[in-house]
Amino acid sequence: MENKNNFKGWIYLMPAIILIALFTLYPLINTFLISFLQDYKYATGSSSGFTFDNYAVLLGIKEFPDYLTGKGQIDAFFQYALPNTLLITFITVPISIVLALIIAVALNSIKKLRTLFQTIFFTPYVTNIIAVGMVFGVLFSQTGLINEILGTSISFIPNQGSEAPTYFHAMLVLCIEIIWYELPFKILVFIGGLQSIDRQYYDAARIDATPKIKRFLHITVPFLSPQILYVSITSFIDGFKEYQAIAGLFNSRGTTSLNYNLYTCVYFIYDQIQTGGQNINYACAAAVILFVIILLFTLLQLYVSKKRVYY
Amino acid sequence: MEIRLENINKIFKGDKKKGVEDTIAVSNLNIKVNNGELAGLLGPSGCGKSTTLYMIAGLKEPSSGNIFFDKEDVTHLVPEKRGIGLVFQNYALYPHMSVYKNIAFPLTNLKVLTFKQSIKVKTLELLISLLDNDKYLEIKDLINSSTLDSKKINKDLALRNLINKYHISPSFAKTLFSLDYSSKENINDVIIKAKEDINKEKEKLSNKGFSIDNEYYLLDQDNKRIEEKRKLSKDEIDILVRDVAKLVQIEEQLDKKPKELSGGQQQRVAIARALVKKPRVLLLDEPLSNLDARLRIKTREEIRRIQKETGITTIFVTHDQEEAMSICDDIFVMNNGKLMQEGKPIEVYKDPKNLFVAKFLGTPPINVFKGEFKDNAIFVDNEKILDNVTLTNEYEDKSSLEVYVAIRPEGFIFEDNNETLGLSLKVNEISLSGKEQTLICSHNQRLSEQIKIVIDGDNPISIKEYRFKIKPNKIHLFDLKTEERIYFKDISK
Repeated sequence: MENKNNFKGWIYLMPAIILIALFTLYPLINTFLISFLQDYKYATGSSSGFTFDNYAVLLGIKEFPDYLTGKGQIDAFFQYALPNTLLITFITVPISIVLALIIAVALNSIKKLRTLFQTIFFTPYVTNIIAVGMVFGVLFSQTGLINEILGTSISFIPNQGSEAPTYFHAMLVLCIEIIWYELPFKILVFIGGLQSIDRQYYDAARIDATPKIKRFLHITVPFLSPQILYVSITSFIDGFKEYQAIAGLFNSRGTTSLNYNLYTCVYFIYDQIQTGGQNINYACAAAVILFVIILLFTLLQLYVSKKRVYY
Repeated sequence: MEIRLENINKIFKGDKKKGVEDTIAVSNLNIKVNNGELAGLLGPSGCGKSTTLYMIAGLKEPSSGNIFFDKEDVTHLVPEKRGIGLVFQNYALYPHMSVYKNIAFPLTNLKVLTFKQSIKVKTLELLISLLDNDKYLEIKDLINSSTLDSKKINKDLALRNLINKYHISPSFAKTLFSLDYSSKENINDVIIKAKEDINKEKEKLSNKGFSIDNEYYLLDQDNKRIEEKRKLSKDEIDILVRDVAKLVQIEEQLDKKPKELSGGQQQRVAIARALVKKPRVLLLDEPLSNLDARLRIKTREEIRRIQKETGITTIFVTHDQEEAMSICDDIFVMNNGKLMQEGKPIEVYKDPKNLFVAKFLGTPPINVFKGEFKDNAIFVDNEKILDNVTLTNEYEDKSSLEVYVAIRPEGFIFEDNNETLGLSLKVNEISLSGKEQTLICSHNQRLSEQIKIVIDGDNPISIKEYRFKIKPNKIHLFDLKTEERIYFKDISK
């Protein structure tokens, strides 16, 4: 009886299993395998055996073999892509979480115009990041609105002015855009959480003459801790995978067309596919490195949350 | 502190566009609670009693009228400045904090106005007084006896014992624990060292122009104590928290989270949190409604004891008349936002001013019949239940009148051959509970759902019709229209 049911169940699951196996499981395993192959040829599928060199080269331990082309790009992974990815993640994620928390609390405490403000803060969520990048590009161009307001003519965006931007200025605009774009989803989650906190806790705190800031830190934040954990894990993962924002905003790998200093990990991986796949074993290794980093950070957050999150 | 509400109204605005009318939650309410009293706001749900409590707390503002604490008008004062403690219906304990932190939380916000004290001299003197004259042996014994199963001394237990016995702060307990009690010389050295330190400290202070009085307060050149406004120190908070925990008997639970406690214990924590800052008024919103029946009786006596011990003016909201009757000094019966009657519970019970109060108080509830007053007697269904009476006050000139006749369950007397006065009731059910029995009866002129009467358990009753005599003082008459009380008096003598 039980066996029969199991069989039926598998049949029902088949369509999903086939699709997952074909488009998720197989690529996943394949990526892992290819990352260990030497001189892998995308077109023929041939290679000259297993090696750890792909990882060693990416992490700057070994030199890129000189019989292959694309040395500059591969070297840019350790030099630019990895540091940039970490930098973007560790700047944008904490700032956007704190900002979203403050905005959510503020939105939750007003009655008039609340829906209007909620709509305003929510628009980025339904806007395409490429379109957002283009608008930011115009706003921050050397003759754009921001420079107009500041009364300066700083170059922020590559190829959109007479001079090339500095790394700092380009990164600044990128982080502002990512933070702005990431806010709405977080605000939404936090408002949902805020509305489920019993008002009595605040009444009790008021009776005890608790200052506002203390009410926020000792009541709001602990009660929102499950939402904060959720948002923080998902946005760390999103941060590590940042690519679209750079492509949309800069349409360039670097502040000048010659270098790769605005690279991120995912940008690097996509580029390897784009250039005919000759170095795709390196792209696979990069993907595995990124996976390990994300895994470690997620585990770390779950570990911290055990002590700090109250359900 | 005395609490006075004068002409309080609370109207919740409706929405005229949607056809929602204004809700009058409280109307023209006048209440006075005397200093040190336990007062009960009593009424059915939706009568405005909780709204009244929240207005006293300052969490809701009255639409009109004034609230006074003693002579101070606090109507528009924010809740944090009123100095009240409030226990919420579902306790509102912070789930992420331990019991200790929950109780300490109000204290961490508190700023106190005190005189500057030399804590150093005070603790050193205390140390000497605890060690001197061989008194250190007591401490030594206490520490040595602080063992759990093993023979090793348990530090936490020893500290707790020291704190509980000598009423000292945890840091001072640690100092005591760390001393070497092995020989008298060691202790003497400690005492000598402490005395030296005291002299040094006094010298230091006098260089700055201060001296110290007997209670270790600093004095300036004019021998006046120096005022300072400051937050409480950790040690002070610890002592206050432990004191109040002892008062409500939860010393053992301090390290637990509220979730790990039973309902009754959570209730105590909530009361402790409300009391720890020594508020001027304690407000309790349906504090027993989340407890089971047995715990409710125990806890209400507990509340009574705590209130008596602290002497704090307390207002207590409940819909359970038994609860209010059993512990309150004064009760205020409310209905539909209006005060129906106030007074000592037993007086309100014996002398209800209107039909609502009569029906609301008492278990089993009062039995109401449609009756008549005529020929100087009271009739129910043409049975004369009481004669030789006349109506008084504004009803004095009435010789006949249709009335509600309300009779308390304990007002019936069973007599075998009752001929003259009385009321015939058909007994349908009998439930015997030891010394008394409750009879559920029927009568065609009854207005209450059931007629329940309570008589002595020894009376031989079976399921049939009986004629009961009625105690005159258990009969209350009410006007058919206004439902106000109609008083009558005996004219037989």
